[in-house]
Amino acid sequence: MSDDLTGDDVVPMGTTVAGRFVRSYNAVGFLPILLTGLVVVLAIFLPHFLAVQNMLNVLRSSSYLVIIAVGQMLVLIVGGFDLSQGAVVALTSVSAALVMAGLKGTLDPSVVILIGVLVGLGCGAVVGLVNGLCVAFLKISPFMVTLGTLSIATGFALLLTSGIPIYGMPTQFVDGFGRGLWFSLPSVFYLAGGIVAVIWVVQNHTPMGRYILAIGGNMQAALVSGVPVKTYLILSYVICSVLASVSGLALTAQLGSGQAVINAALTLESIAAGVIAGVSIKGGVGRVEMVALGAILLLTLTDAMDLLKIDPRIQAIFIGFIVVLAVALDELSQRRAARV
Amino acid sequence: MSEASIPNLALTVGPQEDRHRSSKRLGFMLLLPIIIAAMELIVSLIEPRVLSGHNLVNVLVQSSYLLLFASAQMIVILTGGFDLSLGMAVSVNSVAIALVTTALAATGVSPWLLVVVGIVACIVVGLLVGTFNGFFVSRLGINPFIVTLGSLNICYGLATTISGGRPVFNVPDVISLVFYDGTIIPGVPTPVILAVVVAVLLYLLLDWTVFGRALYLIGGNPRAANLAGIPGKRYLFLAYITCSLLAAFGSLMLTARTGSGEPNLGGGLMLESIAAAVIGGVSLQGGIGGIIPVIFGSVFVTALSNAMDLLEVGGYVQQILLGCVIIAAIFLDRVRATRS
Repeated sequence: MSDDLTGDDVVPMGTTVAGRFVRSYNAVGFLPILLTGLVVVLAIFLPHFLAVQNMLNVLRSSSYLVIIAVGQMLVLIVGGFDLSQGAVVALTSVSAALVMAGLKGTLDPSVVILIGVLVGLGCGAVVGLVNGLCVAFLKISPFMVTLGTLSIATGFALLLTSGIPIYGMPTQFVDGFGRGLWFSLPSVFYLAGGIVAVIWVVQNHTPMGRYILAIGGNMQAALVSGVPVKTYLILSYVICSVLASVSGLALTAQLGSGQAVINAALTLESIAAGVIAGVSIKGGVGRVEMVALGAILLLTLTDAMDLLKIDPRIQAIFIGFIVVLAVALDELSQRRAARV
Repeated sequence: MSEASIPNLALTVGPQEDRHRSSKRLGFMLLLPIIIAAMELIVSLIEPRVLSGHNLVNVLVQSSYLLLFASAQMIVILTGGFDLSLGMAVSVNSVAIALVTTALAATGVSPWLLVVVGIVACIVVGLLVGTFNGFFVSRLGINPFIVTLGSLNICYGLATTISGGRPVFNVPDVISLVFYDGTIIPGVPTPVILAVVVAVLLYLLLDWTVFGRALYLIGGNPRAANLAGIPGKRYLFLAYITCSLLAAFGSLMLTARTGSGEPNLGGGLMLESIAAAVIGGVSLQGGIGGIIPVIFGSVFVTALSNAMDLLEVGGYVQQILLGCVIIAAIFLDRVRATRS
């Protein structure tokens, strides 16, 4: 990498002010501008884009992704990765639905829902704990660990259901929460907003926020400075998986059934949302509000492609390109920053 | 990646220790055939069919395919990388080969031209995928996980789009004749012969060419490789192309076997190819591996799933077990690395 640096690229000292300007502009972000521009263009060229139903759709589908992407961000910040998120969503969906459908009628609906939700979150916590323990103590590459747990969790989800959707959850859960509009906005929107707010506070006003940045930035330095590295590594993985569970519960409530093949694209989309938002896959960089915007941008694009009747399979190609290009751009801008 | 922050032990190993370590590796290498034999014997107590001649030939044929994919994976793992797109690249290849050859067969050209066209199609697609992965990994220095995660999605989209999501039937018989059920050496199945030829070629490539030896050095000690004047970027690029070409050839063999181009052909191959390579003893830290460990790893994974099939273990449970086996194998890999 460093051998790309050639003499004529060295910039005179005076332009560091410009460099600083670019960096502070980067801090505010290109993303809000891009998103606004995209919305304006879409509103002009696609007449159905601004329809209330469509806006609600975008808001709802991006809320699921925001919740997952925020979890992925935490793991990316500590220099890790979580490929098992999609599988956790499926496992949560299946086990929560099974418990709720099984207990329905025996107990008060609110108790049934509570137990179902706790079981669902428990699934996420267990998978996250396994991921975290393997990464922190066994020092196995997070990619491989989560690839393994991806296989295991998917296997369990399929095994529990034989691949058949599970119906029969309490109506309060499905119609009241999953498909419900609170103050004319989808319920999951408030959930996503709340989670973003909490993580924002954690990132900016608690030791944990600084610790995970330190771990991702330079693990040795963090260790030497007395950061309880292992604890926070594990915590990041657990929160990541639990957030995937939260999203899985909301998705299950909206679908009205527990499904083992719920949305395989979620993991890639969550990573995509992260890298679009400038989260470094090398760790140490990432801001929750940007990730939320990244997720909304991605889903706005997807929605536009749906409105243009572009085949979902071609959309997969598109998202694949976006992920690689976003990381490539990040890499190139880092190199440029290194030169300045 | 946290890989960078975990001290890479391979970096500090000199030639003396290296030889010491490779003798230890040999011990591990002998372990696997013993485990395979023990597994087969134990299973045969419950299910005698496991040791029937017919079943053993079956296992051998099955592992020939896996050997191709696992050795493709091994080439990039040696450099410290990874190819997540391998399975989906196999799907794209299969569909592309089937589409091209069926279209050409309809015009009534000579069968041998069909074989040539089939091979050309597989080389072209292999080169495209390999160039994409290799370019972003070697030239832009992007994490191979992200690049191949992106190309996985792109390949998935391509495979399902160009095939319309359905198998492409009526692949000309001559393809099957040449690459599957024809007779080259009487009594030996064609896939086994092809796999042996590829294995010998790979052995020569890895052990007797500058490129092959350089791959070990790039993965084991990139700085030394750089100082030794090895054109690291070019070789890294070539490694990804070699990987994709091997996978493409494996895909041609599989397509010849099924007689149709299958958009879902490669679904489980990514995980299985990684599992086979790692279980054989190819180190995920890079720089350690070879064709012999990959042969044993492939036979082990195939024999395990064959035994579970005969014991009527369900596919979902097998998926869970494969995940566990992978994590166990990687854990062993870490233990080996820290010991030596």
